Amino acid sequence: MSNRKKWFSLDLGPHNKKKSSGNCGCSNPQGSCDSGPEKEELNAEEFYEAAINASIGDERRKDGFDQVFDVQMDRRDAFKKLTASLLIGAGAISSCTSVIQDPDSKEKAQIDWEEQFKGNYKLMTDEEKKQTVDRLMRSYELRTGKNISMSSKNAEEDVLFGYAFNISKCQGYMDCVSACVEENNQDRKSQMQYIRIHEMKDGKGFNFNEADDNYYHEVPAEGHFYMGTQCFHCDNPPCVDVCPVQATWKEEDGLVVIDYDWCVGCRYCMAACPYDGRRFNWSKPEVPENEINKNQHYLGNRMRKKGVMEKCTFCVQRSRKGKNPACVEACPTGARIFGNLLDPNSTIRWVLENKKVFRLKEDLGTEPKFWYFMD
Amino acid sequence: MLLFAVSFVSCKQDGEYHTITDKIEADQKPYHGDLSSEELLAGTELIQITEGEHTFLIPERKGQIKSYACIECHSKPLNEMKGANGQKAHWDLKINHAAIETMDCATCHNPDNMNNLKSLTGKDIDINLSYKLCAQCHSKQFEDWKGGAHGKKVAGWAPPRASMTCVNCHNPHNPGFETRWPAQFNTQKVEERKDGLGH
Repeated sequence: MSNRKKWFSLDLGPHNKKKSSGNCGCSNPQGSCDSGPEKEELNAEEFYEAAINASIGDERRKDGFDQVFDVQMDRRDAFKKLTASLLIGAGAISSCTSVIQDPDSKEKAQIDWEEQFKGNYKLMTDEEKKQTVDRLMRSYELRTGKNISMSSKNAEEDVLFGYAFNISKCQGYMDCVSACVEENNQDRKSQMQYIRIHEMKDGKGFNFNEADDNYYHEVPAEGHFYMGTQCFHCDNPPCVDVCPVQATWKEEDGLVVIDYDWCVGCRYCMAACPYDGRRFNWSKPEVPENEINKNQHYLGNRMRKKGVMEKCTFCVQRSRKGKNPACVEACPTGARIFGNLLDPNSTIRWVLENKKVFRLKEDLGTEPKFWYFMD
Repeated sequence: MLLFAVSFVSCKQDGEYHTITDKIEADQKPYHGDLSSEELLAGTELIQITEGEHTFLIPERKGQIKSYACIECHSKPLNEMKGANGQKAHWDLKINHAAIETMDCATCHNPDNMNNLKSLTGKDIDINLSYKLCAQCHSKQFEDWKGGAHGKKVAGWAPPRASMTCVNCHNPHNPGFETRWPAQFNTQKVEERKDGLGH
């Protein structure tokens, strides 16, 4: 990989993946791919075996053995001998240019292999979760030479996250939007944003049809008020119900999250969400290397890929450490309040009990955990 | 009636609640878990206050004011310090807080005791507890602030609660928020909507 690129784009190895997945499963169903998901670690010998099995399916096209040696022998043996001398391992499979065994590319291929065949994050044990984030961190290091920290921290007990938004206070500065984009490594090219701030005319109520969510003039503008929308982390989330592969679900602490590696990109959830809370990666997300937030969570701001959904996670990488989401911290007006709904002493609970709160489209029964209120 | 009661019970047994409010009510308990804001607050000097039923932390103030203590300069009465030969101080202060008939410097500052603030009835208010001064007029905001509906936390959602005090966000001499340009403009959204791809 070239390091000269100024823009970093997440490359979980389309080369490698295409090769390994193309070579294995499909063409050779009894091959090792079946054993992939169960195996946490392949030892060197098993990996060799797997790599060879994987390659045989494609040999008709690629293997020049017959032409060179013109020897009739068991292909499997022949290939084994050949690999033994030519040191064909993962490196050779993953990279057509490299026949010399490079431990890094071998490791890279192994990581890709295991990532390709890992299970749904929701079903993983804590040990497996740790292994997958370790793999992803190592993979990033191998590819870019830089380190990231990725957490697989689970939901805390006795915590249910909730959010309140003060319509009287929001001035429409959009500092929250900027902070969110930076915190969550959102695609800069398509200018993806989880938060929308709607500028609404006084006296017209919540009229989203006439509201402007992409204004650019001095704010607050005369005769207008501002309100923000994002993922509301519904307690009864329709997006979760419609997902055909269960790549999105509600965690114990109420966060609605996505396993980007399990998402097939069908966008049913996007259609099901009544609040426009979900975003789709139409192209490969791009974030300049020096702007990447390296403090990541598997379910949060780690780098996404093309063709998967993403959305606000209440900054799971922050909130599960006791911090406020980036939007809450960035808001200069104090319009955003975040906290633990189960704690009767929390400020969010005081707001719910003492202010006149409401939620958007309450009649749908989605039970958002995002309330609006006024002074 | 019986049927209704049975269905109600079975509903509860599933651990399902009709609304999020029911769920909160059923599962609530004061949080004493592993998460705490203490680490996040480590670098900030804080003082604990109790107002009504609320006890929480606010940032200490005197240590943040460069020219505190005030009496280091204000060693004699103000009218004696005025004059052409004295060093000019506070020249950059402009009061933009209520009408001049309502408020002037002496509404909050006591010329005879510059180290403290002064309540409307002439009682001393510690600069660290300046919110008491603001609360004299802004009683509604004070109520919301005590509860946590007005203002910001210093850091983190987890206990202990540390809230910014009035002057951490509002300049007491000019407390309003300025109009300004938004931090973002999404040019891509404009393109998409022009092409009819937006929502």
